Amino acid sequence: MTAPDRDVAQAAATPDPDLAREAIEYCYEQGWTDGLPVVPASEGLLEQFLAHTGRSPDEVLWRMDHLDRECTVRTAAINAAMAGCLPEYFPIVLGAWDAVMRDRAAKGGGWQSTSGPAPLIVINGPIRDELGINSTGGIFAAGFRPNATIPRALGLMLRNAFGVVPHVFDQTTQGIPGRWAICFGENEEESPWESLAVETGLEPGANAVSCTLTRTYEFVDNRHTQDAEQLLADFADTLSRTGSLIFRGQSAGVVFCPEHAQMLAGAGYSKGDVKDWFIQHVGRAEADLRRAGKDGVSGSGPGARSASESERAPADEFTPFFSARKDVPIIVAGARNAAISMVFRVFGEWSNTSVEIEPAPVTAAKGG
Amino acid sequence: MICSEAFITTANAMADVRGAPGYRYLTTPHPVAGLTPDQVRQRAEAIADQVSRLLAQ
Repeated sequence: MTAPDRDVAQAAATPDPDLAREAIEYCYEQGWTDGLPVVPASEGLLEQFLAHTGRSPDEVLWRMDHLDRECTVRTAAINAAMAGCLPEYFPIVLGAWDAVMRDRAAKGGGWQSTSGPAPLIVINGPIRDELGINSTGGIFAAGFRPNATIPRALGLMLRNAFGVVPHVFDQTTQGIPGRWAICFGENEEESPWESLAVETGLEPGANAVSCTLTRTYEFVDNRHTQDAEQLLADFADTLSRTGSLIFRGQSAGVVFCPEHAQMLAGAGYSKGDVKDWFIQHVGRAEADLRRAGKDGVSGSGPGARSASESERAPADEFTPFFSARKDVPIIVAGARNAAISMVFRVFGEWSNTSVEIEPAPVTAAKGG
Repeated sequence: MICSEAFITTANAMADVRGAPGYRYLTTPHPVAGLTPDQVRQRAEAIADQVSRLLAQ
């Protein structure tokens, strides 16, 4: 091969960045993006995505009757491709959508809520390693393609299939930082407890995805004690904030780092024991709620607004925030390098289920 | 239909998507969520005539 031949061959092998940019700008002009560039999806790329599911391209994943819009498997595939997913991620995108739509809040208009809730996507099973899904250091940070693109696919589906765009049908007041970027594997290898998927009824080793809508995330950094009750009390303090209270009955969970989880397990706490401890200790005295104007959620109060004199409970009466284990989802993820965990608040009510990830058809698994 | 003024854009978009552009509805000042029952009653009294007129059209 002569030198000019080599130049021609090299040029043919290198994608043309100007052409790529032109296609990306075209997508912006159509209003298809969330503000970041999307991957222009060709028919060929769409076929690769569809080859990774046994579901019909025309199957309707969800229909929003009030908006007269629906999302098919094909539309989901286009948006997953635009989000930057690899075709191999598509069964997880479908599973995450199915999982979150088991939430009563998601079915009831939560996607358009002024809260601007974020889907929290948790993945279990060997698929984490197979696809390079991060479950250790930096689970809430950037740097891993499936973690970044799978939740983004859900955001683009909302936008492009259902037309839920900001300032119109998306009525978000402020929203959640990283609204379309919260997805990670559970760190099953360093968790002392059964996985989230097993806890919710799936077989050990199953590939599964769980998803719920969430409101806030707040860290608990406690490298200060070796006493399990003190550690739990530190979590309970963060879980007992009044600011996030809206109605009577709350749901909030913890993404425990391995160090905290192992410390609690070492002291004899099962996952259920930790939930029970929180059910008993997370809440506020009537006087605290009254100070914040939220005494309506306690006693015989009206719920969402401040209580009148006759509705008020005694000042020292304790109002627990949780009533059942399902109100307190617990996940173990992150690195075992510091005792830093994350408290999160569920937007409505988690379905307390996981969805088994559909295996790709044999042709796709062989790269067909 | 009555909505608070903060939701006019969404209400109009909703009317469009349901095939009823220009659908007439009433508005009340925002916010509503924190009002006491008495304040809600005052709002209702203030808008009652407009509701009657709109329903009669």
